[in-house]
Amino acid sequence: MTDFEIVMKHNHKLSSKVLAHLSQVVGERLSTKKVDLLTYSRDYWPITLHWMLKGKLPSLPDAVVWPENKEEVEKVVKIAHESSIPIYAYGGGSGVLGGTIPEKGGIIVDLKRMRSIKLHEEDLLVEVEAGTNGYYLEKYLNKKGYTLGHFPQSLYPSTVGGWIATKATGQFSTKYGGIEDMVLGLDVVLPWGESIELKPHPRSATGPDLKRIFIGSEGTLGIVTKAWLKIWPYPEKRVNLSFASENLNDALDSVRRILRRGAKPAVVRIYDTIETKRHFYKFEKAYGKVATVMILEGDTRTVEAEEKIVEEEFKGTPIGEGPVDHWLKTRFNVKEASEFAPLGVVFDTIEVSINWSKATQLYNEVSKAIRSVKGTLFASAHASHFYPQGVCFYFTFAGVPKGDPTKYYNKVWDAAMRATLSVGGAISHHHGIGRQRREWLQEELGNAFEVLRRIKDALDEKRIMNPGNMGV
Amino acid sequence: MPGKWDWLRDEIKGIELLRSAPLIFRFISGKLKGPDDLIKCALCPNMCRHACPISIVDGKETTSPTGKARTAFFIREGKLELNLENLEPLYMCLSCNACSEWCPFEFSVADLIRPVKETALQKGVVFKEFRELFENLERYGYIYGEPQLQEEIKSGNVLYLRGCTLRENYPELEKKVLKVLNALGENAFTINEKCCGIPAYNLGNIELFKKLAREQAEIINSSGVEVVVTSCPSCAYAYKVIYPEYGVKIKPKVLHITEFVKEKLNKLKNLKLKDTITFHDPCKLAIGLNEPEILEEILSKIEGLEIKAPRRKGKETFCCGYGGSAISRLKPKLADEIARERLKELQEEAELIVTACPTCKLAFNSNGGKVIDIVELLYEVLEE
Ligand code: SF4
Ligand code: SF4
Repeated sequence: MTDFEIVMKHNHKLSSKVLAHLSQVVGERLSTKKVDLLTYSRDYWPITLHWMLKGKLPSLPDAVVWPENKEEVEKVVKIAHESSIPIYAYGGGSGVLGGTIPEKGGIIVDLKRMRSIKLHEEDLLVEVEAGTNGYYLEKYLNKKGYTLGHFPQSLYPSTVGGWIATKATGQFSTKYGGIEDMVLGLDVVLPWGESIELKPHPRSATGPDLKRIFIGSEGTLGIVTKAWLKIWPYPEKRVNLSFASENLNDALDSVRRILRRGAKPAVVRIYDTIETKRHFYKFEKAYGKVATVMILEGDTRTVEAEEKIVEEEFKGTPIGEGPVDHWLKTRFNVKEASEFAPLGVVFDTIEVSINWSKATQLYNEVSKAIRSVKGTLFASAHASHFYPQGVCFYFTFAGVPKGDPTKYYNKVWDAAMRATLSVGGAISHHHGIGRQRREWLQEELGNAFEVLRRIKDALDEKRIMNPGNMGV
Repeated sequence: MPGKWDWLRDEIKGIELLRSAPLIFRFISGKLKGPDDLIKCALCPNMCRHACPISIVDGKETTSPTGKARTAFFIREGKLELNLENLEPLYMCLSCNACSEWCPFEFSVADLIRPVKETALQKGVVFKEFRELFENLERYGYIYGEPQLQEEIKSGNVLYLRGCTLRENYPELEKKVLKVLNALGENAFTINEKCCGIPAYNLGNIELFKKLAREQAEIINSSGVEVVVTSCPSCAYAYKVIYPEYGVKIKPKVLHITEFVKEKLNKLKNLKLKDTITFHDPCKLAIGLNEPEILEEILSKIEGLEIKAPRRKGKETFCCGYGGSAISRLKPKLADEIARERLKELQEEAELIVTACPTCKLAFNSNGGKVIDIVELLYEVLEE
């Protein structure tokens, strides 16, 4: 059917009967056109960019549907369940691990036509459908005087449903938390086509928190169609700070002590010397050192108190607002892959987390592991999400392998995952598992993986929900 | 000061860089241009999706900015056949250039994919919905077929060009424009104008566009006037931005009516009106002509007018859905859906919407919105 080579082959086909059923549900919002199937063959898994340039695509779905409400999603899932058809929820397609690739064929359910927003001001909640675009939601809230505080780098292309499915976090996470801290209630369509509402109570002691099962389940346990998210009054005051430290340890330790004292900067980003040179080459005082950018925001009095704490604790020279402004201006400039993939450069990022006591060790060992793979040009990192207990490191690597780019890519991943596991870190902080990381999830979870597997079996006994993803 | 790529040179010492990655070395030394723009866009994760009205409302990956670029890339590379089914997503574009405001490369998807549309046209792969339009433009130089004879005002110091949409749908607006220009101390005249050609340009019919541009330029230039004023931001955009790219020169200074009014507004004393309004910045005015604040600025000069700004304004404006010539013909339902998405936002602010483009007015009118052109508002102010 296509001039492309398909990397993950399958023999799945949809019968005309199933297609007729689907079209009864969604009418014209169903496609089996080649041009649509090609588009939904991939997400933003970086290695697939190289495949695409060589005429290879990850995998083709059999059909795409664009439901407009929960009832349509229920009906589509029911059809899939009755005929055991694989089904994949699709949001912004900006996931970087192949989490939405229709590996076994079947139906893609794109939720982006579901984008209603309802504000509950007194309860500080927003009720929002899963297909709502991230920036669209934030802008809507800002106009009403609120913020969600969730700024993943994918804010422009991604959706609320995608954030929940991948357990995303954002640039302002040190204050506002990850998406799991924001979700208070959920509507989920389960693998047999029935839906549940997990109500947005401020807190409840009504058994285990069922929402948590779905947050980060990457489309393997159900399809989230709506969420109730916590919101915040739009920050009254903002303070931008930056520092140059002699070494990574000084900067990390400063932030650790700041958080221990209860201050919660919204943004903290510590760049190793390589990334400091890369991003802040125009700032002389930072060049060759370790740069930290920090944003404090919220109620004026709180921010003033936090600023004092930061001043008292930070080991490094304050270097003004310039670097923060620069970061704010460039923080959504995602362009490296577009520029370098066609030149044969294999490029990706790997985010892992670790407790403070082993933070420097993890940084050193993962960097070393990536550099040890032949073909690597560089490996660098910044730390960008912080907790009183630890930190997330975000590694970037690029290489020009002699042979097959995919082989090189997998070798780097393998080296980085192994190093992370051996130091005792979590193999993913916020990108998730998808298809790139699935083989390491078992090792990460140990015998707890069995719990995940059994939950999957119990909810999705026909294994139709994003089959193969996360390796469950 | 260190350079942009010094960090990389430090990491991979000179000779090693040269050996392991000659392409990169040449790229960072500025000796290699890098991939072409369509490829870059095809590899992007849609960093402008939030700004693209099609993407927000249609919700399909295939019609998202990068979805269109990728489809165009596949067609260009011969991986996808050049047929109507595969071309359709490329026409799901309003040519609003909102993407370019957010793109790290400052690309406009409309511009990147136009060459594929041009090729399609040259090869005769054309939607029937467009054929009729092309015929009208060929024969009459008018989008809607044979134009009704309109009275011309023979003399004056400013040439007023109405544009097809206004001529066909809002002929009464012309008188109000002339009245307002008069109040500003100008005598405007009209001529037997033709279409500026931008619909042909949007749809990839460059030959037809060039023909219309040459004819229109001849008409305008031979009038001998020094200033031209248009009601349609797309026409002004064509004359000011696109014509020069094709070597067609309009001799007089061209201004959109808002630009003209803004310059002379101080001539009007006592602008007062008690009303509550919101406004819609036309994409071609805010983005195309780089006048993101002009409408709000003019409105702010009217005393007593309560202006309730929408959340998407200026360069973040959201196309009315009728722009770009393609969607309203191929997928009128989608065009209306976009108009309603925008209307909903505007109507949350105020019932009455002020805009400055006949096409936007048409889009909102067709979907139950109460909308007036800025000139109509000024006319009302002057009447009072
Ligand atoms: S126009 Fe720019 S931001 Fe938009 S998809 Fe293309 S490259 Fe990305
Ligand atoms: S020109 Fe407008 S409609 Fe077309 S891709 Fe860009 S933002 Fe979307």
